[in-house]
Amino acid sequence: MSGRGAAAAFLRRSTLVRHGLFFLAVAAILWALTWFVFDPFTNNNVAGVAIYAIAAAGLTVLTGLNGQVSLGHGALMMIGAYTTSVLLQWHPDLPMILMLLASIATTGVAGAIIGIAGARLRGPYLAGATLSLAVALPQVPTHFASLFGGNQGISVPPAAPPDALTSVTPEQWFAWICILAAVITFFLLANLVSSTTGRRLQMVRDNEVAARLAGVNVARTQVLAFVISAVCAGLSGSLFAYWISLTSPSGFTLTLSLSLLTVVVIGGLGSLTGAVIGSFIIVYLPAWTSGFASSANLPSNVANNVPLAIYGIVLIVAILLFPRGIAGGAASITRLATNTFRSRRQTSTLPGTTAPPQQ
Amino acid sequence: MLEISDLTVAYGGVIALDRVSLSVPEGSITAVLGANGAGKTTLVRTVSGLVTPREGSVRLEGAELVGRTPEAIARLGVGHVPEGHGIISELTVDENLRLGGLWRRDRADQRVAIEEAYELFPPLLARCAMPAANLSGGERQMLSIGRALVARPVALLLDEPSLGLATALLAQIMERLSGLVAERRLSVLLIEQNARSALSVADQAVVLSLGRVALRDRADRLASDDALRHAYLGF
Amino acid sequence: MRLFAIYTVAGVVNGMVYAAVALALVMIWRATRIINYAQGAMGMFTTYIALVVIQHGVGYWAAFAIALAAGLVLGAVTERVLIRPVESQPPLNAVILSLGVLILLEAVAPMLFGGQTQSFPAPFSRIDIAAGSTQLYISPFDLFSIGAVLVAMLVLFVVFQRTSLGLRMRAAAFNPEISRILGIRVGRMLTIGWALAALLGALAAILAAPAIFLYSNNMDEVLVFGFTGAIIGGLESPVGAVVGALGVGLALSYVSGYVGSDLAPLGGLVMLIAVLMVRPQGLFSFRGHRQV
Repeated sequence: MSGRGAAAAFLRRSTLVRHGLFFLAVAAILWALTWFVFDPFTNNNVAGVAIYAIAAAGLTVLTGLNGQVSLGHGALMMIGAYTTSVLLQWHPDLPMILMLLASIATTGVAGAIIGIAGARLRGPYLAGATLSLAVALPQVPTHFASLFGGNQGISVPPAAPPDALTSVTPEQWFAWICILAAVITFFLLANLVSSTTGRRLQMVRDNEVAARLAGVNVARTQVLAFVISAVCAGLSGSLFAYWISLTSPSGFTLTLSLSLLTVVVIGGLGSLTGAVIGSFIIVYLPAWTSGFASSANLPSNVANNVPLAIYGIVLIVAILLFPRGIAGGAASITRLATNTFRSRRQTSTLPGTTAPPQQ
Repeated sequence: MLEISDLTVAYGGVIALDRVSLSVPEGSITAVLGANGAGKTTLVRTVSGLVTPREGSVRLEGAELVGRTPEAIARLGVGHVPEGHGIISELTVDENLRLGGLWRRDRADQRVAIEEAYELFPPLLARCAMPAANLSGGERQMLSIGRALVARPVALLLDEPSLGLATALLAQIMERLSGLVAERRLSVLLIEQNARSALSVADQAVVLSLGRVALRDRADRLASDDALRHAYLGF
Repeated sequence: MRLFAIYTVAGVVNGMVYAAVALALVMIWRATRIINYAQGAMGMFTTYIALVVIQHGVGYWAAFAIALAAGLVLGAVTERVLIRPVESQPPLNAVILSLGVLILLEAVAPMLFGGQTQSFPAPFSRIDIAAGSTQLYISPFDLFSIGAVLVAMLVLFVVFQRTSLGLRMRAAAFNPEISRILGIRVGRMLTIGWALAALLGALAAILAAPAIFLYSNNMDEVLVFGFTGAIIGGLESPVGAVVGALGVGLALSYVSGYVGSDLAPLGGLVMLIAVLMVRPQGLFSFRGHRQV
């Protein structure tokens, strides 16, 4: 076999290396864009997209791959954000990497607790329990105001580049950090998805009884999925605190959780690419619609709610038009149509490729 | 008169019924026999509208049933006594009975029909306020049949009424039913695995095998012809 | 002692509102195996309709009736148009669909009715009654709220248990297939079920509005508490839902009073988790351990 053939064969076999090279390339391209091309405003948006992408990725793994509907993802982000904010309030000079790790730790623990509590819950019950979390948790900072800053929140100083890098603007620096965090997260998740663990997550989603019979510890798998999603939310929340400079309860309402779930559904439950698409939607849709609204002279009460109205309509329409594509498996809105046509022609379904049977 | 013509039903790629035709004259009982999986229950569920056939027609007194919803078919006069009796255990015996005729406009006649059901099956009267879950197997079957009769059907579909019933009790129930069939000119389709008991009360018999009609004969001839009976029914 | 009485009364009054929502959720669950996450938002919407009507000079009681009627219509239309297709699909679809309705209603309400929080009138005084020199810790409006929910429950009880419509609805919920072959129009029964549930939701919302004011997500907490009550009661049992919701109302009132009002929802969450971990089928369900 020639040298090039051997390399190609190696790449085909080694998912890790393939993913590594891909994400390295993505990171390099994004670094170049933020350094050479984008203005500070765009860099700020890029950071935002990266931050939401991390959160969305965690949610899509939990709900898409593992089939557990969580309406409390925003609450988990809140835990990450507040961990960072409170620590910074005590010691403003703590390095960012420590803050990120601390948030990951606290939110991961919270995710484990919720996962254990929710391990016996399915479908509507779990959704309801996480809904309660999303509504209840934002009240905690309000109550323990001395610790958490109450309703006014805690202000967070923006991330500053190290003194050595004089020509790097704060927006570029922060965008790089967010991009790096996102690339690492997606690299790890991509490897997880194609690993045995990833398959186990999907097995449990598709047919719990069969998974159990095959020796999979269902409860442990469910908890693991929750922890993974929580870790992503924690990282995302921590970066989020730096991004908006103010951590307050009003930034983490039920609307955030619902929006995250919506864009993950739009992007495709279980699809990491879909998580990126979803994060673009969350960051840019409000901007686009408010631009359109002001040119059409729509009043603010209408303009501010257009994104949400669109989310609601898209969710309803997606379910009504493409019912089989929603229940797990990588199926973005754009691919749902082809899936629907393809599965109509198929007489048998391969596990993991099209919509699974009764959940 | 219930006429089934060229009925074909497929689940996915599997053909459950293959161009089945049979007719049930008024005031007679047609037994549909055959092994497990031969298509007997599929046939009944197709007639009552729970299953949509790929091809074929089912006519009741000339009216086409295929394509209608089960509710509409029931309202046209088809009474379905499902396999496993299908009583609603959360409701009382009386509520189950009343359920049968609730769609009818004629309230007075409905009450009469319910009285008649209690006369037909006296054990039900004693238990009329009890939850149906407390009934024995035989009583449940009585309730299921009584409930179907309350709607004053024109055609009656009985799916394996013998399941879980003692022979004596089954014979009793079938005897009362025969009287009713003649009196009210019902067209009855009787699905049974217990061929012996079915043949003793039926007028015609149809044997299904792998979704097709394998044999069609008068019930008494099939019962008395040992060779035929043995070949198709195994006894 | 005085505080305890105040908190208890508040707990019962709130509990009755949660009970209406819990009952609505249970009705829909028993009929269609779906949790209607939009139940609260639908009530918010019908209360806004009532507000608009009142602002155009119509009296409270007419507006009250209109809100309830709007609830009936909204519930029926939602079931017929949106929910009917997903009733036979995997549960995840219904969850996402009802969330879509929730999001849409909470977005459209400010568009139609304005974004600022509005107050909503109460038909009776909300000042605690003083009987001579003793202070009763309950107001006329509190009594009305409790009474209205009780009347609604009584009416539903009579309809379900004593009428032929109720019998058909129960049968359709217990066993839709058998009901069909008995000539019952199961689809129509489901539509009526959703309409009645939305009526309860509209009632809950219009009773809660004077206290919690009117804005797009005012019913989020009420939905959560009603849901908690329904889960505690077991989702299969209407009586359980009401008792569970009353329990939630009381517990939250005590937490709110003795600890802090912001922590009430957290207390509710703790209750929910506790019940789900110890007895997931709910306190009043006797069907044995079910895969929730």
